[in-house]
Amino acid sequence: MIKRLTNRNRSANAPETTELVSGRAMIWLIASFALLLVPQWDRLPVWLIASCIVLAGWRWLAQTGRLRLPGKWSRSGLMLVLVAIYIATVQGRFTVETASSFFVLAVGLKWLETRSVRDFYVLFFILVYLATVNFLFHQEIHWSVLNLAGVAMLFVGLQIVNAPDIPGAMKSGWRRLGMMLLKTLPIVVLLFVFFPRMAPLWSVPLVSGEARTGISDSMTPGDISSLAQSSERAFRVTFGGEAPPYRDRYWRGLILDRLEGDTWQQGSGRQFRRPGRVSVDGGRGELESGQYDVLMEPTDQTWAFALEGSEAVSDNVQPDDQGLFRFNRPADSPVRYRMALANEAQSDQVGGVPDNVQRYLQLPRSGNPRARAFAEELAAEFRRPGAVVQHLLDRFRQQEYFYTLRPPAMPDDGIDALLFDEKRGFCAHYAGAATFVLRAAGIPARVVVGYQGGDAGADDDYLIIRQYDAHAWVEAWLPGQGWVRVDPTAAIAPQRIESGLRDAMADEGSFLENEWTSPQRYGDMAALQWASLQLDLMNYHWQRWVVGYQGQSQMNLMSRLPGGIGLRELGYITAGLVGAGLLLAGLMTAWQYRRAESRDPFSRVVARWHRLCDRAGVPVRHGETPSQLASRLSRVMPEAAGTATAFARAVNRHYYGGESGTDSRGELARMKRLLTAMKRQADRQSPGRPGGNH
Amino acid sequence: MLKVIGDRWRHWVNRRVPRSDHRSFGQRNIFIMPTGAGVVFGFLLLIMLITGINYQNSLIYLLTFLLGAVVVAAMHQTHRNLSGLELTLIQAGEGFAGEVVPFRLRAASPRHDTLALSLACDEVVLHQQHIPSGQQADLNLLVPAYQRGYLQPDRILVETRFPFGLFRAWSWLRPLSAGIVYPGPLAAPEVASTVQDGEEQAKSRSIDGNDHADIRPWREGDMSQRVQWKRYARTGEMVITDWEGEQGSPQWLDYDAFAGVERELRLGYLAHQVLERSRSNSRFGLNLPGQVIEPDTGAGHASRCIKALAVFGLEQPEGGGPLPTGTRAVGGAGHSRHASGEGAL
Repeated sequence: MIKRLTNRNRSANAPETTELVSGRAMIWLIASFALLLVPQWDRLPVWLIASCIVLAGWRWLAQTGRLRLPGKWSRSGLMLVLVAIYIATVQGRFTVETASSFFVLAVGLKWLETRSVRDFYVLFFILVYLATVNFLFHQEIHWSVLNLAGVAMLFVGLQIVNAPDIPGAMKSGWRRLGMMLLKTLPIVVLLFVFFPRMAPLWSVPLVSGEARTGISDSMTPGDISSLAQSSERAFRVTFGGEAPPYRDRYWRGLILDRLEGDTWQQGSGRQFRRPGRVSVDGGRGELESGQYDVLMEPTDQTWAFALEGSEAVSDNVQPDDQGLFRFNRPADSPVRYRMALANEAQSDQVGGVPDNVQRYLQLPRSGNPRARAFAEELAAEFRRPGAVVQHLLDRFRQQEYFYTLRPPAMPDDGIDALLFDEKRGFCAHYAGAATFVLRAAGIPARVVVGYQGGDAGADDDYLIIRQYDAHAWVEAWLPGQGWVRVDPTAAIAPQRIESGLRDAMADEGSFLENEWTSPQRYGDMAALQWASLQLDLMNYHWQRWVVGYQGQSQMNLMSRLPGGIGLRELGYITAGLVGAGLLLAGLMTAWQYRRAESRDPFSRVVARWHRLCDRAGVPVRHGETPSQLASRLSRVMPEAAGTATAFARAVNRHYYGGESGTDSRGELARMKRLLTAMKRQADRQSPGRPGGNH
Repeated sequence: MLKVIGDRWRHWVNRRVPRSDHRSFGQRNIFIMPTGAGVVFGFLLLIMLITGINYQNSLIYLLTFLLGAVVVAAMHQTHRNLSGLELTLIQAGEGFAGEVVPFRLRAASPRHDTLALSLACDEVVLHQQHIPSGQQADLNLLVPAYQRGYLQPDRILVETRFPFGLFRAWSWLRPLSAGIVYPGPLAAPEVASTVQDGEEQAKSRSIDGNDHADIRPWREGDMSQRVQWKRYARTGEMVITDWEGEQGSPQWLDYDAFAGVERELRLGYLAHQVLERSRSNSRFGLNLPGQVIEPDTGAGHASRCIKALAVFGLEQPEGGGPLPTGTRAVGGAGHSRHASGEGAL
């Protein structure tokens, strides 16, 4: 019986924070890291991705005991090397890419020193924020699902960290998390709808160093034909009424009016970039007939695309002096804006010459002599600018000009070569050449860059304009008519304008020839097209109702509800929702507690008696019989001796009596009466209570 | 100031969590606060919200609200994990000072699983106890004992951070029953017993020398062989002969043998002697001021002796468990114990 305890058995006494993380928790952390890295894939340098994989793999091998974690020195060395590579490759640029690279590098290095629970939490916080950052770059529904899955894995990992040795931890972890999400879903949805979408508190533009696919602010022949190899989405348009026919879908983006060498540029110089962010949500109420909503993918540029003769409806786009539209900041996230088709009215500009006429007649001092001579010939022959334009288009239409994605190289005097020798080119070649000839003939002209066309999405709800719809054409100033659209491509390859690039390139077979994975490449596979369009539709609604649910959409929705709900009211509603949610959750818990306690009415009465005893200063001891408790109680409260003894006897009778035929309801009522009497006696006895006899 | 607040808080908690060997945890006595990680996560949510506002990013709003809701749900889950747990001290153990005393607790969770429960007393922690719904588990909490006497842990901390470690729900069990801590055994220097072990007694020693023996009334614990049955038959008095020779013999372990030695030290010496005798299976008795344990052998006897040493001169803590059995309380200490137990209420 007496022996000295020599082994103290204090094995489990280490403080929790230094406890080692179990392998099963670690694998969830690593899996989540891998998943959350996928959206960053295209913006991270290859060496970083490779080292992250190596570091995380090392960590895993160390966890399974096949490898050792590096010591302090080799860890520092490794860290120095990787940071040095980072600094060397970044070279002082500060962009979103370099920032997120650094972030990922920090996580990658952290793997090697993740031993304790505290380290696990540090990684958990960083990875949750990584998921947040991912949302800045990718907002499509599949990316969102992936991000949320990554975060969910983190929470499963946390559960395993906190209870490493329960059986079936993974399954129960997912179930528990799922139940939590399910139960809180209504409040999340309400918060999402009602949380006031404030203006940005301060502006941190997303400066990206990576070129986005899309049209740029200068054009060298051949630029747009490389765009034609991309089936990425440029923007989507929803029309309030009928969409205009295909051939009239000219989406003007920007004007290039200055020719330097063989590159067309914007003449007016770069616009001053104002600080602040572009408002991403310009929707206003119902879409009326004659209006259209454009949901534009981020371009990192300020220009907005609009049909000819449009007016801005939403206030996040402003018209400029060339009849184009601008955001006041580069669009670094998807932007929705609304335009209206105006009735043909360019009256104020129709007079003699446009403002800054010299700007639209500018040509390099030398080069392309044959084109210049040809232009002078035309000018001498026709006199009337309209007739010059007509003749030029006729020439394109009648002679053997080809529209091709595989134009030959035309290094010297490219316009001469195109017009008189090769006669093969893409829209950018022809637009540039035509503008050159018109200017040389003394007609103000400019190159317009944008998109032409657009295919219907699923259910014909909206048009999808993709990068391969990029187009360049010409606008010429004709007296009495103002700026008139002149599209040489329409003369050379009418299919391009009537039904798009795919048909125009049908013979050549060069449509998306390098884009093996694009569903658009396989236009003849109906099922694939259907699936691709359905996915796009899903994303469209996702973008429209969830991602794009910002200031204006919220106000629209609120204006449909009774009562003028402004931002302030939304704030109150949000606070109320949070409060009500917390209250409701609390009440539910309390109710569950009561319900569980009250399953058996007898035990509830006994529990009340125990509470009474507790209050009276007679704590219930374990294993004590009711009679013992009653006798102790009566020693403290002699007044209640009789009732207590009677009550104890009733309890005994109920639980240990054995006669099943007794009137249990009557018994219960009697016990309740006794309890009430006991309470009264207790109240009477305890001094200082209001209503007592003292 | 802080101390005052601390005392107030402790007082308030003690009122809410009265001493009892049995406690079922519920809303009345569970406390919940975010952990350090929980606070950091709160800040992270705030930063996420600001990111969402600044970049007008609805999906970041959505993620923030989703995780915020998960935090609230986790708070309830953590609370629920502890609520409904029933904890009972089924045995307060015994052990030597400077070592640990095992406290056996029975945990039952009738309604739902209680996972990743930890029990702590002083700096000893029992991690990761899982009590599945409707089952019982016996937990062994080793409470460090620093000094001999009754060991009644002021509070046994019962806490859980499940599921995410963002919140910590805790409560206390304040046991009524006390464990017993034996004095830490110390090897005593060679000293002779002072109890009448003189030369003059030695020569008068005889087998049936009734005249030389002290006669005293029977007390509980006396062996029946020593009862003077003849005298009992004659007078009806039950008397005992205390053999002078025996009493002065080295088989008595005597508190008074270590004159001038400090009390705790003496008890340590005695504990050592008890262990020694017990090991060599020799016969011995224990003489403490106000308490005498007659010579005997065996584990039960040794246990009785060492318990007597453990609680020597100490009052049973309020409402404590039963005294170690078989001791002979002198001077009505046993009665005063009960009186004080009730009177303090």
